Amino acid sequence: MGNDGLLVVRCQLGEREAFRELVAMWHPPLWRYVRGMVGSPHLADDLAQEAWVAVVRGLPRLRQPERFAPWLFTIARRTVTDHLRQTYKAAETAMEEATTVVADDELSGVLTTVQIEAGLAALPLLEREVLILFHLEDLPLASCAEVLGVPAGTVKSRLYRARRMLRDHLAEKGYEA
Amino acid sequence: MSEQNRAAQRAVPEQLERALAAEVSLRSRLRHVAVGLAGGCGAAVIAVLWATEPDALPKRTQAAFAGLIAIGLAWAVLAGWVLSRRRPLFARDRVLSARIALAATVVTAVAGVALAAVRGSTVDLVATAAGGAVFAAAAMLALVRARRRRRELLRLRDALRQDAP
Repeated sequence: MGNDGLLVVRCQLGEREAFRELVAMWHPPLWRYVRGMVGSPHLADDLAQEAWVAVVRGLPRLRQPERFAPWLFTIARRTVTDHLRQTYKAAETAMEEATTVVADDELSGVLTTVQIEAGLAALPLLEREVLILFHLEDLPLASCAEVLGVPAGTVKSRLYRARRMLRDHLAEKGYEA
Repeated sequence: MSEQNRAAQRAVPEQLERALAAEVSLRSRLRHVAVGLAGGCGAAVIAVLWATEPDALPKRTQAAFAGLIAIGLAWAVLAGWVLSRRRPLFARDRVLSARIALAATVVTAVAGVALAAVRGSTVDLVATAAGGAVFAAAAMLALVRARRRRRELLRLRDALRQDAP
C-alpha cells in the first residue's frame, strides 16, 4: 500500500499533521487534473479547494485506504462535472459514451507529456480527461476506469480515440508524433 | 514559467491550507458534540420534570416546556447533521466524543432517575430508568465501536510503517 496508504490511515485516525502531508503530496496532481479539465488556473484553485473539502469530509468513510488515488480523482471529477453542469446545461449528455472495446494502438509511449499538455485544450472533454488521468497522472487503466465509472475497455477505446485526435491536432500544428 | 511549474512551486495555496485547517478542526467537532449532548440531555431532563409534575401545569408553562424540549432536540439534530455531513469524526475524535457522550448520558440518566424518585410515581421512575439505560447503552455501544475502529486503524498503521522502507 506504501506511503499513500499510511498517510491516509493516519488521517483517518485523526492525526492532524498527516492532513498537511497528504494535501502537500496530492494537491499538485489534483490541481493539474482540474486545470486540464476547466482551463482556467483560478477556477482550478476554487474547484480543487472544493474537491479537497469533499475529500476531508468523506475520508472517515473511505474503507480502502489503498484506493485513495482513484477515490480522490473520482471526487475531483464529480466536482468538475458539477461545475460544468452548472455552466453548460447540456454537459450531462456530453458525458455519455458508448462502450466499444478497441485494442490499444501503436501510439502508446510515443507522445510526451509536453506534447499532450500542448494539445489538450483542443480536445473534447471526455478525450481530454482520459489523457490527463492516464498520461499526466499515471493512473493505471483500472483506476482510470474506476474514476470515470466505465469499463476498462471503454477507457482503452477513449484513449485510442484521444491519442488519434491529439495526433491529428498536433500534426496540424506542425508537430510529428 | 509554465503553469505546471507554477503549480508545483506554489504547492498548497495558503487559502486552501486555512480552509482545510478549519475542516479538520477538532475543536469545532467537540463543540458540536457538546452542543448536541447539551440539547439532547437538556430536553430529556425537562421532559422528566414535566412528566413527574404532580399537578397539571398551566398552559403557558406547558408551552414553555414544549418549546424548550423542541429547542434542545433541534440543537441535537443540527449537531448530528453537522457531525455526519460537515465535520465527520475521525477515529480518535470518535473515541473522545463517545466517552463524553457516555459521561453525559450517565449523568443525565442519574439526574432523571433522582428527579423521578423524588417527584414521580413508580411508573415514572421505571420509565425514566429504562430511558436512561437505553441512552447510556447507546453511548456505550458507540464507544465500543469507536474503540474497535481505532484499534483496526492503529494495527493497519503499524503494519504499514513496518512495510515502509
